[in-house]
Amino acid sequence: MDWLVKLILAICIITSALVMLVLAFPKNPEKRKMIFGVRDNPKFHEGDAAKKVKALADSCRKSALIITAIICIATVILVLVPTTGVTMLALMLLVFALFLIAIPFGKGNTELKSLKKELGITKSGTVYADLKNTSVVHGLKMPWLILPNAIVFLETGFAVLIDFGVIKIVDTLAIEKYALTSVSASFLFVAVILVPVAYMMDNVRNTVISKDSNVNANYNRAKKKCWGDFFIAMSWVNALAIAVLMTLYMFIYNDIAILAGVLAYIAVLMAIVVIAAKLQASIEKRYERDTDLELLDDDDCWILGMFYYNPNDTRLNVEKRFGYGGTVNIAHPAGKVIMIILAVLLVFSIGFIIWAAATGNFDQLTINTPFG
Amino acid sequence: MIIRIDEYSDVPIYMQIRNQIVMGISSGELKGGEQLPTVRALALEIGINTMTVSKTYQLLKQEGYIMTDRKNGARVRDNIAKSGVMSEENKTELRRIVSEARLSGVPKTELKKLIDEFY
Repeated sequence: MDWLVKLILAICIITSALVMLVLAFPKNPEKRKMIFGVRDNPKFHEGDAAKKVKALADSCRKSALIITAIICIATVILVLVPTTGVTMLALMLLVFALFLIAIPFGKGNTELKSLKKELGITKSGTVYADLKNTSVVHGLKMPWLILPNAIVFLETGFAVLIDFGVIKIVDTLAIEKYALTSVSASFLFVAVILVPVAYMMDNVRNTVISKDSNVNANYNRAKKKCWGDFFIAMSWVNALAIAVLMTLYMFIYNDIAILAGVLAYIAVLMAIVVIAAKLQASIEKRYERDTDLELLDDDDCWILGMFYYNPNDTRLNVEKRFGYGGTVNIAHPAGKVIMIILAVLLVFSIGFIIWAAATGNFDQLTINTPFG
Repeated sequence: MIIRIDEYSDVPIYMQIRNQIVMGISSGELKGGEQLPTVRALALEIGINTMTVSKTYQLLKQEGYIMTDRKNGARVRDNIAKSGVMSEENKTELRRIVSEARLSGVPKTELKKLIDEFY
């Protein structure tokens, strides 16, 4: 049943590539608040500068399209060719190749920063704070976030009890050993990440866009509500997916049904990301006309428009400029630790995949999947 | 009330916050008894050290503009003591401003108009 694993991987890769393309390279980036992670400036829309920005946006989008197309075509080819250790290795490494789509974005960011210098747009270094809204504007409904994640905890506990034979609902010998525990644990891992990230995003610094405190409060509340709802929706989907997959494992144990469940889970997650990004864009558009303050120009603190490094900023979490949600300040001690852990995990994952392929474990892996 | 911090200004950040809170109280944007954010919240909002905000609040408390207590945090004073006397420091600052305006050719009436507007 190796084709099932390949198909799931392929769908994940292609949808992720397309979502990245849509989020990072919109059709008219010059109309957005951020162009390749650089804050839009009126000078970007004048004379030669406008032409340069347009040409740069087109060229970066074209490069991203080519990279996405290559990844998608390579994925389809690898799904169609007979499975060997090498094809499985190549398919898994394509997951990491998704990062290549960010290269044109980084290039666009670097060139726009150079253009800023050429145009004499200097760093203003002005920070605004709204005394009325400091630490009081939130959009996350905590009980609604805790509830689905608590259900995930209970479901995982339930799965462990079934796998270890404490609770007898079905004959556990008939299904893969510890399959329920491993499936529910992977969802629990997602839940463990979702809760702190949602809390951090709800406490992200408020953006001051107007002299009117009410406008600032409404704008930040709308944005935080959008993030909060996004994390709540993700949590509920997580809780529902674990219940559906456990039911499928216990009572149906049909490969096609399980595959359909996994695919539906991926599709719903992707749909939530796209809907949340669209909502965020509509909030930005709605409040564009209420913006009467020049926002902080911290473009130089954004390495390639993706990584935030600002030693003068004591905050750990900041709003992302690329994609959806937040990121960490790498200059912050905790930020450094998080980035090191992520880098180690990334290197370890690639190393592990290569090692698994080299030692012939992929053949065993494809046979021993929970799908058959 | 919006506070504007200039990272490249010669005026220290704690003084910039202090000056703007004083201006806010004077203009009525911050009313007597109004709650100010906690030291930690304001520091996080501006992205500065909590000690900087703490220094501002201590200074404002010392000058009698705000009051702080463990239960309610920092609040604008309801009755700010009105000595009716201008401090020597402010007199020197005003003299500097008037001198610069005079050297720049700003008419006296214009200066008076500005004082009326800000007062």
